[in-house]
Amino acid sequence: MGMPVRVDVRDRAAGLAAVDRVFAWLRFVDATFSTYDSQSQISRLGRGEMGRSDAHRLVNEVLDRCEELRVATDGAFDVHAPLPGAVDPSGFVKGWAVERAAALLEQGGERHFLIDAGGDVVLRGGPWRVGIRHPRRRDRLAAVLELHDGAVATSGAYERGPHIVDPRTGGPACGAQSVTIVGPDLGTADAYATAAFAMGERGPAWTATVEDHAAMTILPGDRVLATTGFLRHCAGPSIAGSLRAREETH
Amino acid sequence: MDPGARGVKRAVAALVLTAVAVVLLARYETQPPVKPPPPVKIARAPAQKDPHVHTGTGPLLTTPFSSIQVRAELTRGRLTGVETLALTGADAHTAAINARAEPILREEALLAGNAEIDVVSGATYTSESWIESLRAAMKAARRG
Repeated sequence: MGMPVRVDVRDRAAGLAAVDRVFAWLRFVDATFSTYDSQSQISRLGRGEMGRSDAHRLVNEVLDRCEELRVATDGAFDVHAPLPGAVDPSGFVKGWAVERAAALLEQGGERHFLIDAGGDVVLRGGPWRVGIRHPRRRDRLAAVLELHDGAVATSGAYERGPHIVDPRTGGPACGAQSVTIVGPDLGTADAYATAAFAMGERGPAWTATVEDHAAMTILPGDRVLATTGFLRHCAGPSIAGSLRAREETH
Repeated sequence: MDPGARGVKRAVAALVLTAVAVVLLARYETQPPVKPPPPVKIARAPAQKDPHVHTGTGPLLTTPFSSIQVRAELTRGRLTGVETLALTGADAHTAAINARAEPILREEALLAGNAEIDVVSGATYTSESWIESLRAAMKAARRG
């Protein structure tokens, strides 16, 4: 998947078999969905070498869900943008794959774990303390959340990297430095973060309309707009209050 | 959601999609009344008019309990002020609900802090070495 994945299992009886299954699953996802692998099904679909009816059941499941998300985000999340014929569901696949990995661990009896896939996180059986990365100081945090279960996804362009594209203009998305979405499943949270980021200055207002999801947007000029739901998840009375380090030592 | 409230939601969404960004929206919480945060005040207009500052006033939106109208100020395309112009309700019930209303979006300062955490959510810095990240991830996995 092009980024390191870390699995942190806290159960005493944790076995390695479930973790092995997780990594085997992620290798399958990579082989099927990687846009960097010219032989993956998603690449071959993009080139027109195969059709949807020949594709794996899970490829169709992903593309159907991505269409729902395109509608839900008014086109800001679009796997077919910016080039016509393009198929790039990466903004959803990563989170979706990690959610299914979490299900594998639960089937193996694990109840207390987190999976960190390049900064997008699935949590089970907390409380877990989740730091949100500062957009310019890579060793610092902008907020700390306390969550028991759920998903946290962050989209960003910390060094103004143009890798996130606004599907409606075809050019780089400008506007926010980062968008963090908290919700019940990582695939959706991932897509919403990507979409909200692409919306630029309209992003924060859109995030406030999305049900069952909390959001924090860091804008240029270092202004932070957070939904009241997000503030309720903070490990403190406010975002600033959540940053005070714990007094007690272990 | 009854048709009136759905209509209000559509009207609010339409307001958001125009150039005027709505930050303060009335919402009713089932909690003990809390003092709402002070509204962001628009600076009084200076003697010479700043050509970069544009204000827009949204339509008067009516809910079953009150009316709300918001004015937003944009400076060079950035939201620099929001003012609630009207939040009315005739009776004590409405006044009590209005006292509990809180904004759906709240603005805070960006700080750079440190704290004990289990995991960090963030995008990657483009100049971060992939190998460096993998090394750290493997180290964390072995420690656990």
